Amino acid sequence: MRVMDVSIMAAGPWTAALLGMLGAEVIKVEPPAGDGTRWVAPTQRGMGTNFMSMNVNKRDIVLDFKKAEDRAAALELAATCDIFVQNFRVGVIERLGLDYESVKRVNPNIIYCAISGFGETGPLAKAGCADYIMQAYSGFARLNGAPGETLEAFRFTGFLDLTTASVATEAVLAALLARELGGAGQKVEVSMLEAAMEIETTRIAEYLGGGLIPQPRGSESPGIVPDRAFATLDNEVFVTAHNDAEFAGFCRALERPQLADDARFQTNRLRVANREALFNEVAPLFKARPALWWQRVMRREGVACTQAFQFETFRHHQQVVMNDMIANLATRDWGTVSVAGTPWHFAQTPCAVREPPRPGEDTAAVLAQLAARKEKAGA
Amino acid sequence: MSVLKKIRIVEFADGVPGPLAALRLSDLGADVIKVESAEGDWLRNAAPALPGSEMSAAFFELNRGKRSVVLDEKLTLSALLKIADVFITDRTPEQLAALGVTGIDAEPYAANPKLVRVGISFWGDRGPLRLNKGSELAAQAMAGYTRYLGSREAPACRLGADVACAGTGIFAVQATLAALIARAKSGVGQRVTLSLLNSLLALKSIHLAAQSDPDVYAGPRVGGANYPPERGWKTNDEPIFFAFGGSVGAEGRPGWVKFCEEAGFNRLLDDSRFDKIGRDSTGYGIHVQALRAEYEREFARYSAEELVALIRKHTGNAASYQRADQALVHPQTTALGVVREVAAAGGARGKVRAFPARFSNMQPEIKGVAPKLGEHTQSVSAELSR
Repeated sequence: MRVMDVSIMAAGPWTAALLGMLGAEVIKVEPPAGDGTRWVAPTQRGMGTNFMSMNVNKRDIVLDFKKAEDRAAALELAATCDIFVQNFRVGVIERLGLDYESVKRVNPNIIYCAISGFGETGPLAKAGCADYIMQAYSGFARLNGAPGETLEAFRFTGFLDLTTASVATEAVLAALLARELGGAGQKVEVSMLEAAMEIETTRIAEYLGGGLIPQPRGSESPGIVPDRAFATLDNEVFVTAHNDAEFAGFCRALERPQLADDARFQTNRLRVANREALFNEVAPLFKARPALWWQRVMRREGVACTQAFQFETFRHHQQVVMNDMIANLATRDWGTVSVAGTPWHFAQTPCAVREPPRPGEDTAAVLAQLAARKEKAGA
Repeated sequence: MSVLKKIRIVEFADGVPGPLAALRLSDLGADVIKVESAEGDWLRNAAPALPGSEMSAAFFELNRGKRSVVLDEKLTLSALLKIADVFITDRTPEQLAALGVTGIDAEPYAANPKLVRVGISFWGDRGPLRLNKGSELAAQAMAGYTRYLGSREAPACRLGADVACAGTGIFAVQATLAALIARAKSGVGQRVTLSLLNSLLALKSIHLAAQSDPDVYAGPRVGGANYPPERGWKTNDEPIFFAFGGSVGAEGRPGWVKFCEEAGFNRLLDDSRFDKIGRDSTGYGIHVQALRAEYEREFARYSAEELVALIRKHTGNAASYQRADQALVHPQTTALGVVREVAAAGGARGKVRAFPARFSNMQPEIKGVAPKLGEHTQSVSAELSR
């Protein structure tokens, strides 16, 4: 499998990176000015860490789409690929001559993945987008915050870009399977808007099916009780009981087994209706002992309970290390950089995360390959 | 065409991740048999319920078009797995062995070598936490997500969206499709494992890299966890978020001056604290906190809609903070056909979201009606004995 990636920033590049992790040969095509993520803060030994994390498992060539010869080379390259990924603003790709119809003409079997902010039709089709814009537009930010507040943005920029890349990869693989089973190539359209709504799925269902206006609930969820953070003698703990059996375990861990039989708390729906009453019963108990204790006893009773972690405390955690959740890549120029491990682990077709390329390092080799191919075809 | 038309999926998973994965594969044409314990998937009992029903709205959204079976002497999991192409489960190999299914984590799976086995856990397939219970909330806390909301002085907040669960569902669809592609060549299935914690760390790749060994302490990817809560800029109605002079191209987007002129914000043009492309004072710029109030003084004369239109006109990015219910009826969302009406139980109609991508050659099939617990036990049993 060969992927041509002419996207920049995050949503497009990580789509191609995921395909690279699955084993495809990915060729990233950068403009002469470079993918802007090379300069996004922070850098590490001069290279944008954003660029490094979004462009693992790729080769890298530089083409200037303003030049006719480079546009021709791009189409020649597209003719040798199975998948094409772009995330230009709607309308721009046609001007570059790399829209689906043009690429299809040289490669009818191509899976052409177009990633946009708001979709390719509709009044906002051409509006600019970014993670924080879609957090605002899609309702994502208005699900966050303390009870009584109306919104809070997730100060973790790029999350919805990576969500979009995940949905795009899902769609590309569906189209690829269809092709492997004898179907033709096709165009796949993915928008940040639809991806954001996919990640909001349960909260949107709460409105579409249940008629509730989705709003911030602090650390609680609308669906199940108990499912929230509790203050303890020291650090907060995050505790969830999904069903009645886990709730009974929760009560035993708190040394209040009788709470499980309390008429107000016998079923999840009752606990949801009486969530304040339950909180008032158990909050003082949590406050009396430290987080460590609650993690021990909740574990014994089969109830989810953890403390909050951060990069420095989870990066060496045995659980993270043993499951290869983080890949520490020794790069040639920029030192060791930590990026995501693969989100899936295949028993028979293992995946790997490989260091990001030096910008443009494969230009000569890829162009020579194209020239040789042309010569062969001409001979 | 439906790419998964001949694919049969056995889903034995509760809550969101496994069911979301099987739902999307169902949209692509697969036949999904949902196996439930006698108590049923806990998501059935979540709040809120569909009007006039005991079934939760989230359960309906994630399980429409599936058949539900409860195992008994006549209908065993082993028998189901013999006729399946894909098995999606959140049960451990030990739990499955207790149900008579051994070797689910062996290669190949002797009872049905073609079977693709997708295993979803909270914390990963190995390691000291392997058998610990987890949850959406616990995964968010452990993956360091809760740090990027609220402030250290206040009680912790979660992301309102179930990002660990839905993210894992999306990755599980990828895993299934990739394994089916490999199977189309090799003829054999394989096991793929995923976890909620792994998914959240994957979706955090930008931040992992940013915190590796940064040259300078700069930008939200290093400092974001310690910023104050971000609630945008107030207007005379809804708050907005906006940004000029993004990182695209060296000169950024040049509209800030014209935007200020047209809006009548000449005061800001003369203020030396504002750079003249708007990069530092908008978005996640370095002077946003210090200068937010200056913008808000001016924005008080405008509605969010007016400002957003004006900013977009001058090449900035902007959106007002909508609630999800408002976003769903916005003309852009309706133009994309995000919401579909399907059959619900008892002849009623229900609204759900369509497949989140568009294909030029395939039309996902958005099915209706989510099953009652064990509704199809007998019919599936009969099908198996045929």
